[in-house]
Amino acid sequence: MNDAPILRVEGLSKRFRGLVAIDGVSFTIQPGSITSIIGPNGAGKSTLFNLVTGYLSPTTGEVHFRNTQITGIATNRIAELGVARAFQIARPFRDLSVFDNVRIGALFGKRGVRDVGATTSRALDLAGIAHLSAAPANTLTVGQLRHLEVARAIATRADLLLADEPCAGLNPTETAAMIEVLRQIRASGVTVLLVEHDMPSVMEVSDRVLVLDAGRMIADGPPAEVAADARVIAAYLGTPDAADA
Amino acid sequence: MHLVAQTLADGLVLGGIYALSAVGFSLIFGVLHVINLSHGILVLIGAYLALMFSNALHLDPLLTTPLVMVVLFVVGYAYQLLLIQRSVDSSHLGSMLLTFGVALMLQNVLVWVFSPDVKSITPSYGFASFHVGGLTFDVVRLSALLTSLVMLSLLAALLKYSSLGRIIRATAQQTLAARLCGVNVNHVFALTFAVSAAFAGAAGIVIGIILPFAPADEAFWTLNAFVVVVLGGVGSPAGALIGGLLLGIVNTLTGQYVGPAFPNVTMFLILVLMLLIRPNGLLGNAFSPSR
Amino acid sequence: MTRRPALTTAAALLIGVFCVALLAAAPTLMPPFYVRVGQLMLYSAALGVAWGILGGFAGYPSFGHAAFIGVGAFAAGLTEARYPGLKLELRLVVGLAVGGGACAVLSAAIAYPILRLRGTFFAIAMLGVSHVCAELNNNVDALQGALGLTLANIAPEAWDPATVFYELYLAAGVIVLFIAWEIKRSKFGAGLLAIREDEDTARMLGVPTTRYKNAAFVISAVLTGMLGVIYAHSLGYITTDSVYRDDTNLNLVVFSLLGGIGTLAGPVIGAFLLVFITQVVLGNLLDFHLFATGLLLVVLVLAAPGGILGLLRTMRRRPTVVAAE
Repeated sequence: MNDAPILRVEGLSKRFRGLVAIDGVSFTIQPGSITSIIGPNGAGKSTLFNLVTGYLSPTTGEVHFRNTQITGIATNRIAELGVARAFQIARPFRDLSVFDNVRIGALFGKRGVRDVGATTSRALDLAGIAHLSAAPANTLTVGQLRHLEVARAIATRADLLLADEPCAGLNPTETAAMIEVLRQIRASGVTVLLVEHDMPSVMEVSDRVLVLDAGRMIADGPPAEVAADARVIAAYLGTPDAADA
Repeated sequence: MHLVAQTLADGLVLGGIYALSAVGFSLIFGVLHVINLSHGILVLIGAYLALMFSNALHLDPLLTTPLVMVVLFVVGYAYQLLLIQRSVDSSHLGSMLLTFGVALMLQNVLVWVFSPDVKSITPSYGFASFHVGGLTFDVVRLSALLTSLVMLSLLAALLKYSSLGRIIRATAQQTLAARLCGVNVNHVFALTFAVSAAFAGAAGIVIGIILPFAPADEAFWTLNAFVVVVLGGVGSPAGALIGGLLLGIVNTLTGQYVGPAFPNVTMFLILVLMLLIRPNGLLGNAFSPSR
Repeated sequence: MTRRPALTTAAALLIGVFCVALLAAAPTLMPPFYVRVGQLMLYSAALGVAWGILGGFAGYPSFGHAAFIGVGAFAAGLTEARYPGLKLELRLVVGLAVGGGACAVLSAAIAYPILRLRGTFFAIAMLGVSHVCAELNNNVDALQGALGLTLANIAPEAWDPATVFYELYLAAGVIVLFIAWEIKRSKFGAGLLAIREDEDTARMLGVPTTRYKNAAFVISAVLTGMLGVIYAHSLGYITTDSVYRDDTNLNLVVFSLLGGIGTLAGPVIGAFLLVFITQVVLGNLLDFHLFATGLLLVVLVLAAPGGILGLLRTMRRRPTVVAAE
């Protein structure tokens, strides 16, 4: 395992007219790890994702993927470099089968030679939906669609997967299945950065947790450490005085 | 200099009529998000109905306006509720194609009933004109312009002050929320279309008394309305007025100074350019959600 | 693979060759009226498939493809008029090169801005482009749109011109169909499909959407333009109104709508059927053409938005059972 971080975010800020959505956020991600970003609603988690993947341009700061500057990069360029994103609101290619959906990821995505069929099958296996290959995408349940999102993203042969609340709206069984998929993905050598609200899952699967509150990073460390951090507790629950009022 | 002023004056008169013609199209686009390609044929139906009624009832054509508007109101309501409502899909291509199909059918019907020949409506004051400050004004065109302005103001007042207008605006801005508040959205859409069709018909009467018309003109009036809306702004009489006046002036200036065959080129060039630069027009979309 | 294709590639090719051979022999067995109907069917089918590369594959429905027919026709005609000494065999070749080239230039020039529009806006903008081209062609005297342009003959003396053009359209149709087929099963075609389904997502997955859209637009334009060149020669004398036709603009959309948009066979089926209905069934009833086309559109939109092939697919599909996890 090499030591160079796969993702480096430095002094990232985003201002929308008068509102500062992200304020001086910096962190690094080690390859082959699962890092989770948590924080109260409105903390800026989605904005941070959008900044990293190029959907928004930062007001200040830089984002580096491996040795390449990707700050504000065009969205299709980011896939060519090896960064993929799975969205909370799944957007499958509705008229295509599950297999054909994932195949698009394998055909395009990261630059380089590949065996399209093998890559597609592997992605389907990793995401646990190989048995649904022939099904039309518009017949899938929400949970299955999330798996399809993930499968399609990793079919691009990405080295870094950004997953946006993959467990949102899923029942405990489906959540556990999704978490297991993320573990398999880590085992296959892909780095995962996710935003999630489901605290038990986050604590269980993450190597590291970053906590965002009102656009600022207030904690950064292993799950146990972060869970005990007073500032984190205050951000979620308020201070003891306020609770008594 | 005098020629420029006359050309501008002519352009404004023409523009006012373009505006009245386009406002119905604009409303349908803004509220229902439908590109109504049968707009032009509704305008022409207004003209033909006025011709029929004014001959049968021995009335001045402008006086047949209420009758024509009622007829087209009813037709428009049924059209939206029974046909267009069923064709709406996420891309709105379906409704556009459906209205195109209906336009072709109605065009053929008009040819059967009235013949493909060019017709016109000549009111009793047909050839009078008067002069103001060196400029000549045609009485017919001026009354056409006045009618247009009055009707546009009426519609603007309806949208702004009446409860129907408020409901229409609310439904346009947030359809789902309106539905949840108990608004019968299908009924509101049908009413909006009915109002638009009525105004299209009124425009047809105005057009019929100043220009010759034939069933084949329907494409022109549809595209004309489209350009006016794209130029001036979606969903408001003010947008239609601005777009119409601008287009009218461009039309007469081009015809006078570039060549009689060039107004159409200019119109389509404006269409393409505006779609690329600012598809919601100069005044923007009147129903865009405020933030 | 996900599903067994309805026909294996080899079988499809065999059937295709057989059909082409049949079609090629047909003029010898048919009265002249049907040869001309056949011309129109093949020309329409080829146009429909060329349109479909952009409209069906990529999901950008152009309502103004007649622009390319007109530009191709006049570019070829004007060039051939400058070189009246051209040998008969070369005339068509030169015409095709110039016509196709002119359309390539035009489409490449407007591709980037116009393909930023989507759906209905793109459709109307293309209609605008078609009218601008027509009006300019008509009003600029040097382009002879209003005056009219005579095109030199390209049929060898000994052969019946109607049959010559029939076979030309057949050959052109086969070539266009082949190109479309190759595109459809290539990586380019898969990218276009993704663009049609969800352009933003496709972009995010690494599909070079802008480059692919522009390419589809230019290819479609060039093929359409070249077909227009053949059409111009078959007319012999062209004016603005005979090539920049609004009914052509509409028909190209209707072919795909009728047959099945986004498919290879759809525009062919749609074209054959529509030409059959208007020329053979309604042949003598010219007054009904508009009404019939309009009614067809309305019925298709309300009852069969996927066209004939869509209907067949719905009938064939068994209810899908989602496997329990």
